[in-house]
Amino acid sequence: MAIFKLHLPIVDDIKQKGLKPALLAKVDEGVTRLTAGLGINDIRSVLRGDPAPRPNPRVKPHADGFWFHMRPTYYHNLVTPLYPQFRLGWLSVYFMVFETITGVFLMLFYTPSPLVAFENMLNILSNVPLGLFMRDLHRFGAELMVLAVALHMLRTYLTGNYKKPRQFTWFTGVLLLLMTLGLSFSGYLLPWDQLSLWAVTIGASMVEAIPTPYPLNLLGDQWFGDQYFIGTFVNNLVRGGPQFNDNGLLRWYLLHVLGLPLIAFVFIGVHYYKVVLHGHSLPPEAEKVGEDTAKRVPMDQRTYFMPDIITRELFYVVLVTFLCIFAVTLGGYHAPLEPHAEALITPLHTTAPWYFLWLQGMLKVGDKVFWGLIAPGIIFNTLFVLPYIEVGPSRRYADRRIGLSVGMVVCVTLSMLTFMGTPWYAVSSSADQEIIAEIVPQTHPGPLRATPWDELTVGTYEAKNWEQAPTPGLKGLLEEYEHAVATAQAKDKEGQFKNLENLLIIEEWQDGLKKITVRVTWQDATGERTASQDVFLHRDSNYGG
Amino acid sequence: MGAAGTTAPTTTPMTRREFLYYVWGASMALFMAEFGGAILWFALPRFRAGEFGGKFTLPVSEIPAVDAEPKDFPAGRFWLINLGPQRAADSRQPADYPVKEGVAAVYKVCVHLGCLYKWVTVNDRFECPCHGSKYLASGARTDGPATRNLDVFIMRALDANGNELAKTKAGDPTSDPEAGAPFALPEGTAFIEIDTGKRIQGGLNTKPGGGK
Repeated sequence: MAIFKLHLPIVDDIKQKGLKPALLAKVDEGVTRLTAGLGINDIRSVLRGDPAPRPNPRVKPHADGFWFHMRPTYYHNLVTPLYPQFRLGWLSVYFMVFETITGVFLMLFYTPSPLVAFENMLNILSNVPLGLFMRDLHRFGAELMVLAVALHMLRTYLTGNYKKPRQFTWFTGVLLLLMTLGLSFSGYLLPWDQLSLWAVTIGASMVEAIPTPYPLNLLGDQWFGDQYFIGTFVNNLVRGGPQFNDNGLLRWYLLHVLGLPLIAFVFIGVHYYKVVLHGHSLPPEAEKVGEDTAKRVPMDQRTYFMPDIITRELFYVVLVTFLCIFAVTLGGYHAPLEPHAEALITPLHTTAPWYFLWLQGMLKVGDKVFWGLIAPGIIFNTLFVLPYIEVGPSRRYADRRIGLSVGMVVCVTLSMLTFMGTPWYAVSSSADQEIIAEIVPQTHPGPLRATPWDELTVGTYEAKNWEQAPTPGLKGLLEEYEHAVATAQAKDKEGQFKNLENLLIIEEWQDGLKKITVRVTWQDATGERTASQDVFLHRDSNYGG
Repeated sequence: MGAAGTTAPTTTPMTRREFLYYVWGASMALFMAEFGGAILWFALPRFRAGEFGGKFTLPVSEIPAVDAEPKDFPAGRFWLINLGPQRAADSRQPADYPVKEGVAAVYKVCVHLGCLYKWVTVNDRFECPCHGSKYLASGARTDGPATRNLDVFIMRALDANGNELAKTKAGDPTSDPEAGAPFALPEGTAFIEIDTGKRIQGGLNTKPGGGK
């Protein structure tokens, strides 16, 4: 008689059914546990597209499983085509996950310290296997995420989906837009390149301008000795000291990898909970004015999550991932990296990434308190409260002419401001500086550094004689030079530049090192003037990639 | 619901238990507010005010010639300017801020949002690459989103023995034209000493083309 009774039902099963059927049954049981309700045969029937059996086992994971309970069991047929949603919300979540995965990879090779951050970038780009690939993916995904979130909001605005009962869904959406912008801003601060330094400097100077409201300003003069004490306080918090340095970089790093993603994931949860709670709203024209029938889906109008939506989403994952990989490989997209941060030089033509150009444009217009704080404050606060003040009952396009016109005006204004944010507006320098900056820019490698080293034949060349250059690389470079000269001359309406002579002088400086001088000479009222810029290029500089 | 026949809502008096919960809740809220304040205080960076300023003593030979281009001193984050009759006659100078001839040390940082502006020879002015503020050699703003003239540092003129001969006047340049103004170096000046810990904010200047 055994003292311990060993309980092994599998042994009994094998004895009863035979080895293979018993093991198969065991595997099936495991799969059913894993999917919270679907066995192997159920999954196969889903993948085959069989009609659902009754009772439908495919709804069980939605009721019992954690992951599937977040997704609706079925959708209305009218919301599953591309219109009206264009999958933009789905894409936003996709990119959030995509950024997390690629970001964790980059974290392995990054230390948030001004001493090594830029070096880490060079290491990732040139030494870490797939480092360049991952950084490009991370940056590309970030840009697409901003695009997806912005378009998602635009689409929601156009179809009027922010209206009752979905006001709070919109509210959390605006919050997520801010998180997205914050994530991308904090992200491009991390490489410790010129853009990092000057973007934080401008951002921190903006909050530094926060005026202290009455009557607190009286308090400031007497207690804090500074009428801008609120601005000074916030400025110190975000800059981490009087100058952006190691302390500040650590703060922005923690915000980027911990603070903002945490808040973003929580609010993605809240946002999507509300989406499912109220149902995906139908196209405006599909229901009567003032009605919301999203949650009352007739039996014959249902598209079930399993099998239709889940298989489609798996396909989207493959498709979007493929497109991203294509873009950063054969597509030639590369994440920009400016020169190492230099506190004593603000680069000419320094610009924010494209999704912040509207803000840079606004800042060029006038006073920083209004255009840097009050105007963006009004914009985002209006977005937050929009569904609570715009309470017209109809979502139909024809009934929302004012709203849609306002939306169009806002889009056009943003486009104009975006143009004003570029170097072409209000910040272009004198012609000589512009020509030199075109050939050896301060924000990216530019045509000279990208020219293959071997093709930079020693000699003196004039831009207008570009066709006689000895090598194709040099020919292309000089042609760009000549083009830059022509552009600058077209702008020089006052005729300041007479007898313009544009030279490119290439010298063998040391073994494997060439000195290249870009020299612009011209005549003006005071006599002969020269502007020039030296660049040293090593055989292994490798800018051309 | 009909208007007639509705019963008046009954109010229940607050019980001791309910009252104590409110007190408890309020003290929790107070504690959280204090905790939030403590976190902000904790997150403030630790540095001493003025830690990054310093005194730069330069021989007069370092000063640019009268009316020449401003001279860059990156280590001290300032430009030395030496204004003469030619700069004083510059028609672009805002009428509210006539040029005072003499020497001054102008803070290198744009008063708009903290970028470093550059001297552009052809345009004969300082230009900021970030948002396009423009300043003359005198530090007067002529264009762009900045709303005041460039800041200047307090400068002292010293003789060979280190005795002070003259000093930049402190004050508010908006109301006092002498405050922060350049001054002609007195006879016998051997050195100038620039105190980058003491900065005078430029005078208010908001109009297009320059002016208060």
